[in-house]
Amino acid sequence: MTVSTFILKNALRNKRRALLSISSVAVSLFLLVTLQVALRELTLPPQSAGAELRVAVRNKISLTNPLPVRQRGVIEKIPGVEAVTPFTWFGGKYKGEEGMSFAQFAMDAEKLHSVFGEAKMNGDGYEKFNATKDACVLGKITADKYHLKVGDQITLDSTVYPGSLSFHIAGIYAGTPDDRNMLFRQDYLDESIGVPGYVGMWWLKVKSADDMAPVIKAINAAFQNTSAEVRAESERNFQLGFISMLGNIKTLIASISTVVVFTLVLVTASTMSMAVRERFRELAILKALGFRRRELFAFILAESFGLAVVGALLGIGGAYCLYTFGNIGKMTAGIFVSFEVTPRIMGVAALVAALLGIISAVAPSLSVARMSVVNGLKTLD
Amino acid sequence: MAEPIVKIRELTKLYSQGEIQVTALDRITLDIAAGEFLALMGPSGSGKSTLLHIIAGVDRPTSGQCLVQGVDVTKLNESQLADWRNQNVGFIFQTFNLIPVLTAAENVELPLLLTRLSRTQRRKQVETALEVVGLADRAKHLPRQLSGGQEQRVAIARALVTDPALIVADEPTGNLDSHSAQEVLSALQALRKDAGKTIIMVTHDPKAAAFGTRQIHLEKGELSQ
Amino acid sequence: MALPLTYNFRNVLVRWRATLATILGIGLVVAVFVLVQALAVGLEKSASNTGDPRNIMIVRKGSTAESTSMVSLAQLQIIRYWEQIARNEAGVPLVSADVITLISQPRIDGRGEANVSVRGLTPVGMALRPQVKLISGRWFTPGKREVAVSQKMARRFAGFHVGDSFRTAGNTLTVVGEFDGSNSAFDSEVWMDADETRSLFDRQNYSSLLVRAASPQAGQEIVSRIEADKRLPLLAGPEVKYYGDQTATAMPIKILGNFLATAMSIGAVFAAMNTMYASVGSRTREIGTLRVLGFRRRTILAGFIIEGALLAAIGGVVGCLLALPLHGVSTGTMSFNSFSETVFEFRITPWLAAKGMIFAVVVGIIGSLLPAIRASRLPVITALKSV
Repeated sequence: MTVSTFILKNALRNKRRALLSISSVAVSLFLLVTLQVALRELTLPPQSAGAELRVAVRNKISLTNPLPVRQRGVIEKIPGVEAVTPFTWFGGKYKGEEGMSFAQFAMDAEKLHSVFGEAKMNGDGYEKFNATKDACVLGKITADKYHLKVGDQITLDSTVYPGSLSFHIAGIYAGTPDDRNMLFRQDYLDESIGVPGYVGMWWLKVKSADDMAPVIKAINAAFQNTSAEVRAESERNFQLGFISMLGNIKTLIASISTVVVFTLVLVTASTMSMAVRERFRELAILKALGFRRRELFAFILAESFGLAVVGALLGIGGAYCLYTFGNIGKMTAGIFVSFEVTPRIMGVAALVAALLGIISAVAPSLSVARMSVVNGLKTLD
Repeated sequence: MAEPIVKIRELTKLYSQGEIQVTALDRITLDIAAGEFLALMGPSGSGKSTLLHIIAGVDRPTSGQCLVQGVDVTKLNESQLADWRNQNVGFIFQTFNLIPVLTAAENVELPLLLTRLSRTQRRKQVETALEVVGLADRAKHLPRQLSGGQEQRVAIARALVTDPALIVADEPTGNLDSHSAQEVLSALQALRKDAGKTIIMVTHDPKAAAFGTRQIHLEKGELSQ
Repeated sequence: MALPLTYNFRNVLVRWRATLATILGIGLVVAVFVLVQALAVGLEKSASNTGDPRNIMIVRKGSTAESTSMVSLAQLQIIRYWEQIARNEAGVPLVSADVITLISQPRIDGRGEANVSVRGLTPVGMALRPQVKLISGRWFTPGKREVAVSQKMARRFAGFHVGDSFRTAGNTLTVVGEFDGSNSAFDSEVWMDADETRSLFDRQNYSSLLVRAASPQAGQEIVSRIEADKRLPLLAGPEVKYYGDQTATAMPIKILGNFLATAMSIGAVFAAMNTMYASVGSRTREIGTLRVLGFRRRTILAGFIIEGALLAAIGGVVGCLLALPLHGVSTGTMSFNSFSETVFEFRITPWLAAKGMIFAVVVGIIGSLLPAIRASRLPVITALKSV
């Protein structure tokens, strides 16, 4: 028998308790990882390719106030601007559904590729979108959800404009961080139920990363003291603006994570104490046989550490598998699309587990240190 | 002689310890009369505790009969047995087995909770039982606040509080010093004399056995006397 | 016959360290459960506090929020003098034509901006919403670029206190008053004069109409008259119902709450199980003794389950107490309906606290079930022999 087999035998002496301890550590770490990923998704949305060259321009009053079309010519003339497209929120509800299940925006058909080039489309999607007025392109997630394919017609009831519009699907795209949106043509909107002369916002692409800052500055300056002042910002900052709107939800999730960790420590520590108390007598015998305190501590620590590590493997691994291979969109009713368990988050969770293993060994070690051989031998009578 | 309170016929108990079969009791036949204080003696593994457990209805024989007050305890099912034990047997253990979180009086009251007695009746009986063992003044103490002898006397009070005909004691003095043992044995003796209880006591201590009215020796599962 | 409760209770206290850890563990789980649900309750409460049963709300057909609704001047003129609409002492019809617009404002902590609802309204509109009370400063004067701000919003956004001013739409607005909306949806708004709002934000139309019906009967008539009139592509309904439908924002919070409750309760069940198994393990002999005394298996079973439930119930109380200080604390997030900041309070109702307690007890019972079965199955003899 070696020391490690002794430790292993000890840890598994009460298999049920070992299993329960491991399970509670696993469940808690699973929860911790989930909350951390959710928090990360809320505070750092996934970055799309090409984002570093995109600028969003909205009305300074707020995103919901429209912008006049005449601004377009001014923006296009600013040096460093490669392409500009309007981007107007339609707020359509699909087939009498209660709420909006995906977003739709009106834009310029010929600018789709130059501004949002990362969208991959099969066949002649881009050409058809350019050629047909009532064409639209649809994200793959939404298309799959409603079993829609190229050529199908869809009708949406707008919550913003009076009435509804019908579209023909010209293409189905994929490859953006959120393949759910629908894009259709601004000129189609203007001619049917829209407000000609006004758009929701502008999206533009700059020629190089160096043009970003000067372009933003130039746009903000260009419309200063006009009736429609604008706020131009990078795609990243625009997204962060959305996150700021979520308000206290972030704090809420962060505090819950803290509570989870605390509960975890509490419960595991108490389990370890129980495990040690159950074999006080044994430890006393070991002491009598000549084992020193240091060695007894090592036994306790190795065991508690081992339980925490196995629990961590199960909890973190389980979360990783579930969120990597499961359909997160379906699980969260569409609130989250990607739910990436990053190495950093896994690292943090593993660190929590390691600390947990150490902290849990402290209290039992202290009581073992205080125990005299004679008392220990008497304990259970 | 009147009908014996315990009638044992051809009682056999086999254990299997792994591969080996152990005969704990080998066709024992024994009568115990009402009002006896029987000391069951014998070395470790002689089967004396097994016999006691069967009489008290906590263990079952492999074959044979054990009638207590005319009832064959080997024929009762689990729940019937539980009720029967409560009404007919008082049990005293070597390790006292008081419930550590309950006071002396509450420990004594415990078996009465299974009866239909009212609260006041129960309290009265508990008081009487504690008086019998001379611990009326310790009613409110927790087991750990009592000495070993006192704990065992509380256990005796608990055994007699339901007024059972039969009291069984398994090495009641095994965990006590000689002074406390004396106390406990005298209390048992008084029970027989004053209350007319039948007492069966397992012991390996001849001094303790001397308190009984009859001594029986068991050896390798058989009566040797 | 059951074992006395004091028996269970004192046993819960014996292993106090492990018990304390379990109680605290369950308590924290319950606290999280109650608090997240309290958010959802607060949101729903704020919606249900808003409507007046006598009021009828009129918006554009198909719009889901007041801010995207549109009612033209012509439409207002058609409706205004209907006899079904109540009038005040001066004979003025009780019709409030409101303009809702969103402005992006910096948060008070400097961390980013969020959309704030600005409601332009008239004195009639204010009279129709008596739950909104001025608590400091004064109401705005039309034409002076003045606004009144909900006190709860003033605590969340920069430049919203009385005397402060902020810039929007090329103008500087001064805050002259703070109001309290009695936990209604108006707690999330900034108020100013209706026509001034229209000119400031370049709006030709109103967003919505709120009218006071002369009687419940008249209210129904208004709804059906608007339905029938082809010139009016509008939708009318009780104000109470309109706000009642605006609780979609509570959904994600409820989902989060349910997810957390499920995951954390599994962990709590494991913890309770561990404690109870340890309890059964160290009381083997005691259980044997009880059985010898004549207690039946199911009594032992019930005893341990009661003990687990008791343990968890204490945890539940601890959890509710931990959650209680947050009752009434206001918090905010973006409403998915109005696309603007919505403030609401943590509301711990007695029913919610009861739900927390039930939740705790269920955890306790599930957690103690297996250990209790094990306890009741212990053979009497082995129980007695175990040292």
